[in-house]
Amino acid sequence: MRIQPFDYWAAPGLNEALNELDLHGADATVIAGGTDLVLNMKKKNILPRRVISLHNLNELDFVLTDESLDNDSVRIGALSKHADLAENPFLKQHFPILCEAVGLIGSWQIRNVGTIGGNICNASPAADSAPPLLVLDAQLVLASKKGEKKISLESFFTGPGATVLEPDQILKEIVIELPKQPSAGCYMKLRRRKAVDVSLAGVAFQAETGPDRKTLAKVGIALGGVAPTPVRVPEAEALLAGRTLDEAVTKISDCAEIAAKAASPIDDVRATASYRRTIINVFIQRCAQNVLNTLKNSGGD
Amino acid sequence: MLVPINIIVNGEEYHLKVKPNQILLDVLREDLGLTGSKQGCGLGKCGACTVLLNGKPVHSCLILAPYADGKEIVTIEGIAGEEPHPLQTAFAEKGAVQCGFCTPGMINAAKALLDDNPEPSEAEIKLAIAGNLCRCTGYNQIVSAIQSCAPSNSDIQTEKRGKSNE
Repeated sequence: MRIQPFDYWAAPGLNEALNELDLHGADATVIAGGTDLVLNMKKKNILPRRVISLHNLNELDFVLTDESLDNDSVRIGALSKHADLAENPFLKQHFPILCEAVGLIGSWQIRNVGTIGGNICNASPAADSAPPLLVLDAQLVLASKKGEKKISLESFFTGPGATVLEPDQILKEIVIELPKQPSAGCYMKLRRRKAVDVSLAGVAFQAETGPDRKTLAKVGIALGGVAPTPVRVPEAEALLAGRTLDEAVTKISDCAEIAAKAASPIDDVRATASYRRTIINVFIQRCAQNVLNTLKNSGGD
Repeated sequence: MLVPINIIVNGEEYHLKVKPNQILLDVLREDLGLTGSKQGCGLGKCGACTVLLNGKPVHSCLILAPYADGKEIVTIEGIAGEEPHPLQTAFAEKGAVQCGFCTPGMINAAKALLDDNPEPSEAEIKLAIAGNLCRCTGYNQIVSAIQSCAPSNSDIQTEKRGKSNE
């Protein structure tokens, strides 16, 4: 399984990387950890002529909190590795859903090399980091020589393996606002093997209460592996948002049905479309129960 | 096109010139003659190629050689000191080796786990070696060999499992 020869350049720093992309971005393949790209080079799915490696950009391997007047947020560097994020104490406290999801990617060996930026830019419909980041309303900071631009993750994916990322841009960091009220989330993924397997279907469910701690102020539901891109399901979210926790419990099965209908899964060697749809329904019910229970128990009564 | 890299493998420093399309596993096996690390699937699914990169287990079959520049690598050849590593002894004693193809990768993953967490639970062991396939042993002997290396644990866990793994 030889990889075809290519020209190689490893960027020593972010500015150098952006300069190089400005000149050669259009005919270069950008690599970070490479756990997916190297695999695809081996399978000859991609035959890059020029590879620009970002693996030395330690300046993009961080988790930092940003405190401002209205919105505290956390910034995650694109070169952060899955294994580090899964164990990060701050993220575990505020966004356990993200830690759970990246902790399910591949195997320990893959999580030690693969990066969250790579997982997103690779734009697999089944990327495990995407559904949790979607329900957390994550923003992406895209950098190029011309400057930085902030866009929502929701507007980033355009199809399987396709994004709005321009050839001269790289994903620099991911920004997530900290919840102001009690929040809880849950990610569930279906796979055939307990490790290493790609997600056949994934569900992320995140909810935050209002100041009364009894009403659902925000509900986020996102699906992976059942549409051309990871998707949010606003119709299903709207059914629960604004309701009290007790009311919401009675609407879970309706919500799951709406989400399962909204999915557009395909039949392939791994699973049939109808099985994927059924699993979405089941996972949403389980995730929602789990999240609503957690919120109820933290309700401060 | 050749890329210069400096790596430390099993404590020895190497200054190499590698092809960028060469994978780390091939550098170890072919350029350095360290054939302990195996190529199983070559696709990051079986774990036979697992080596430690700066102390953490990685699939050396999915890593381009230049990625290892400036890093420290430990392969199965570098695990033992004067005496075999306790994991190596435990694998032999517990029957955790049959064909042996998965063993170098399995021991590397287990070593990384024990370095980080000397008293892992059975669940933690299973999670740590989830990326390493073994087609012979059915894993029980491997898990019990790793458990027996925990400082507080001689054979307690093996007895608890109720089956004769000895």
